[in-house]
Amino acid sequence: MTLAADLRQVLGTDQVLDHPLDMHIYAKDAGVTPGEVAAVALPATTQEVAAAVRISVRHGVPIVARGAGTGLSGGAVPTKPGLIVVLTRLNEIWDVDEAAQTAWVGPGVINLDLSKHTKPLGLHYAPDPSSQSVSTIGGNIGTNAGGPHCLAEGTTVSHVLAVEMVTAEGEVVTLGSAAPDPLGLDLRGVVVGSEGTMGLVTKILVRLIENPPEVRTLLLAFDSIEASARTVSAVIAAGVVPAALELMDRPMIEAVENFRTCGFPLEAAAVLIAEVAGHPAAVEAEAQVVARAGAEAGATEVRIAADELERELIWLGRKSAFGAVAYAAPDYYLHDTVVPRTRLVETMTGIYEIGARHGINMLNVFHAGDGNLHPLVAFDSKEPGMLEKVKAAAHEMVILSIEMGGALSGEHGVGLEKRDLMTKVYAPIDLDAQARLREAFDPQGILNPGKILPEGSRCYDFGLVANLESGATP
Amino acid sequence: MTASPADEWRVEPPPGVAAETLTVAPPSIEAIAEVLGWASAEGHRVLPRGGGTHMGPAGGEPPDVVVMTSALNQVVDWQPEDLTLVVEGGALVSEIESALAERRQSAVLAEHTAGSTVGGMIAAGVSGYRRLRYGPSRDRMLEVTMATGDGRVITAGGRVVKNVTGYDIPRLSCGSEGSLGVIGRMCLKLWPVPESAASLTLDDVAGFAGLYRPLALLETELVITAYIAGTPEEVAAQAEAVGATPRPGLDWPGPLEEANQIELRVPPVLVEAAVSKVRDSGAAAFRAQHRVGIVTAGFGEWAASRLDELRGWAEGNGGAAVVVAAESESVDRWGAPPGSLDLQRRVKQAFDPLRVMVPGRLPGGV
Repeated sequence: MTLAADLRQVLGTDQVLDHPLDMHIYAKDAGVTPGEVAAVALPATTQEVAAAVRISVRHGVPIVARGAGTGLSGGAVPTKPGLIVVLTRLNEIWDVDEAAQTAWVGPGVINLDLSKHTKPLGLHYAPDPSSQSVSTIGGNIGTNAGGPHCLAEGTTVSHVLAVEMVTAEGEVVTLGSAAPDPLGLDLRGVVVGSEGTMGLVTKILVRLIENPPEVRTLLLAFDSIEASARTVSAVIAAGVVPAALELMDRPMIEAVENFRTCGFPLEAAAVLIAEVAGHPAAVEAEAQVVARAGAEAGATEVRIAADELERELIWLGRKSAFGAVAYAAPDYYLHDTVVPRTRLVETMTGIYEIGARHGINMLNVFHAGDGNLHPLVAFDSKEPGMLEKVKAAAHEMVILSIEMGGALSGEHGVGLEKRDLMTKVYAPIDLDAQARLREAFDPQGILNPGKILPEGSRCYDFGLVANLESGATP
Repeated sequence: MTASPADEWRVEPPPGVAAETLTVAPPSIEAIAEVLGWASAEGHRVLPRGGGTHMGPAGGEPPDVVVMTSALNQVVDWQPEDLTLVVEGGALVSEIESALAERRQSAVLAEHTAGSTVGGMIAAGVSGYRRLRYGPSRDRMLEVTMATGDGRVITAGGRVVKNVTGYDIPRLSCGSEGSLGVIGRMCLKLWPVPESAASLTLDDVAGFAGLYRPLALLETELVITAYIAGTPEEVAAQAEAVGATPRPGLDWPGPLEEANQIELRVPPVLVEAAVSKVRDSGAAAFRAQHRVGIVTAGFGEWAASRLDELRGWAEGNGGAAVVVAAESESVDRWGAPPGSLDLQRRVKQAFDPLRVMVPGRLPGGV
C-alpha cells in the first residue's frame, strides 16, 4: 500500500492529503525555498501522531513536523520527499492552573490565543514573536522563538516546563515536569529549538507570567543609528533591563507610516521603542533612566506614551512592520542574526554598506536590546537576478555578524537557509558533537533530515571511539 | 593502571577522596581532554570535581581518577554592557560574584557558595533562591566548552544573549553531574543588581500574595521571609503593601548543617503540603522555596523509612525526593528514574561513549 493509503487507514480519509495541489501548498513555509512532499497528515491526537510516525518510518519516508508554516528558515520544508505532519489540530488548552501559573497546551495552539485565554486571570505567555497572531506554540518550540518581550523574560525555552513528544521510534515520552529540576539530563531544553529533528511535540506545559501592574512605553527619535544604539548600551549599563528595546530605521519608519499612520517621526534616522514594566513605584524611575540615556545620546525627541491608546499606537507601528513591507514590495527576505549589544553600531554600519553595495532596498526593525538584528530586504523576485543579489547580500550580512562575535540565528532557527553556514560558526568537531546528540534522539535520521546541520557533520573522525574503530578495521 | 599522560598534573587528593586515587589538576581544557581520552582508553572511572561542595551522598563505586578543575580559574572575558561573562569552570563563585558586584552585576547563582566553583555548580544543576525572579541557573548558560568523556574538546552555544544556532548543549551541561564530560569554560548571562533590596518577615505565607515578583519567598523552621528588590521607592511600597518592616539587604538563611538532607522537588502549588510533610517527618531544619517547588530538609539521623515516605509522596505528586547528604553508605540518591531513561542513556553515550564519566551517577544508573 502507498504511504497515504496506510495513513488513511489510521487517520481517516480526510486527514491525509496527497493531491498534487495540496502537496504543492505544503512544500514551502514562509521562507523562499520549496521542498518535496510525499504526503500530508493532519492528526488530531498524540496517538495519531505516533501512528503516523510509525507508518512513515515503515515506509522509510522522512517526517517533517509543521505548525502554522510561518517559519522563515525552511525548517518545515522537506529536503527530500517527506511526510508533513501538520500539528495544528492539536489545539486544545487544558488545565490552566491559576495558582501554579501554568497551562498544558497542544502544539497547535496559536501563541496569542493562549495569552488572550489567560488574560482574565491576569496572566500571559511571555514569548511574543511578531508572528504571534498566527504562529503556533509547537512551531515556537521548534525554533525557540523570541519576540520583543524576550529581552527581560527570556525566549521560549525559559517558558516551557515539559513536553510530551513522539520519538523517532513512534513512542510517546514526557520530558520535564511541573516540579522544578526534573531528574536526569535536561532533554526538554534540547528539544526546544530542535526544529522537529528530535521528536514531534504533542503537548506542552507552559509557564505563565503575571501581567505587569504598570507599563510605560517610550518612543525616542534620533538623527543617527549610532545615537540610538548608544542609548541601548547606556540603558543596559545603567542596570535597567527594559521589557523591550526595539529599533527601527528611517526606511522602515517610512514604510510603516505609509501603511498605517502611527505618528512616528518621519524625519528621524532611527526610532527606539522602549518599554518598561513592573511595579508602579519603579516604572516611572526606569522610564526616566531610559529617557535620560536617550537625551544624553542626543535624542531629537523623547515621547512617553501618555495613555493606553498612545502606547497601543506605538506598538501597532512596530508590529505593522512586516505588513508594511508586504504592502510596499511583492517579496521580502528577512534575516535573523545576533551580535553582542556592544557591537551594534559597527555591525549596523557594515550592514548598510553591504546593502548599498548590492543596491538592494533594505529596511531595519529589530530587537536592539538583545543585539538581535533583522535586516529586511524588500524586492520583486520576478526581476531577473534579484533573488540571487538578495541572497548574496544576506550571506555577507551573516558573515559580518559572525565576525562580530555573533550567532547565525537568534529566534528563527537555522533550518535549511542557514544550515551550510554552520561551518562558519563551529569547528568540525563541534558540529560532530551536535550530530551525535541528534543521533541519540534519531539514529535513523528520519526526523526532518537535512536541517540545522550541514551534510557530513557526523564525521566519525573525532575521539577515541573513532580511533579504536579505525584501528579495528584498517 | 598504566602510566598516565597526567602524571605531571598530579596533585594531592582532596578531602573525602581515597589517598591512593590518582588526582590531577590539568592546566587547560585540552589537558583535561587528554586525561579523559586516556581514561576512556584504559577504562578508568573518572570523577570531575570543582569545590567538592555538591557531590551528593557517598556510595557507588569509587572513581579511579579525580579530575580537578582548580587550575582553570580565570575570568576570560567580561562585557558589562553586554551583561555576559566568560569564565573557566574552576573559578570560585564567590570570587566572580564579588568582582561582578563592583559593577552591580551578578550571575545569580546560589547564595551559599563557600568553596564552590562555577563549573561545579552548573554541573550539579544548583540554582539559588533567586530563581523565583531570575529563573534557574541553566537559563544563564549561553555557551559551553567541554572536554567530553572520550577526550574531545567541544564548544556549543555562543557569547550572545539570544541564540538558536544549533542544539542547546550549554543548557544540557547544566545538571549533567559530570556524566558527559568536564565543563572547562562557559559564557554566562548576567543580570544587573537592583538599586535596593530588602528582607521582610511575614506572619504567614498568605502575605506572599501581596508582592509583585519577589526575588524569593522562603520559609524555614523558624521564620517566613520575603525577599524583594528594585528601586528604593518600589521596595518601600512593596513592604508597606504587606505591612512589614523592611530590613535592608538580603539576609538569607544559613545553609542546612545536618548530615542528612533530603530535597523535595514538587509542583510549586504543593510547597505548603511539602512543608507539613517534612515537619511531620521530624526535620530539624528546612528551607522551603515557595512558588519554586523545592523544600530541603535536614535530619539529625538517617532513617530509610523516612526517605521512603517522603519519596513516595513526592513521586506520587509528579515530583522527586533527592538525597543531598546522608550518613549512610547505601542510599538511593534519586528514586524512580525519569520515563525518558532510554533517551538519557543514548544522550550520555553521545558524549561519553565508553561510559567513564561517573558511570551510574545519573538517575536510573545512567
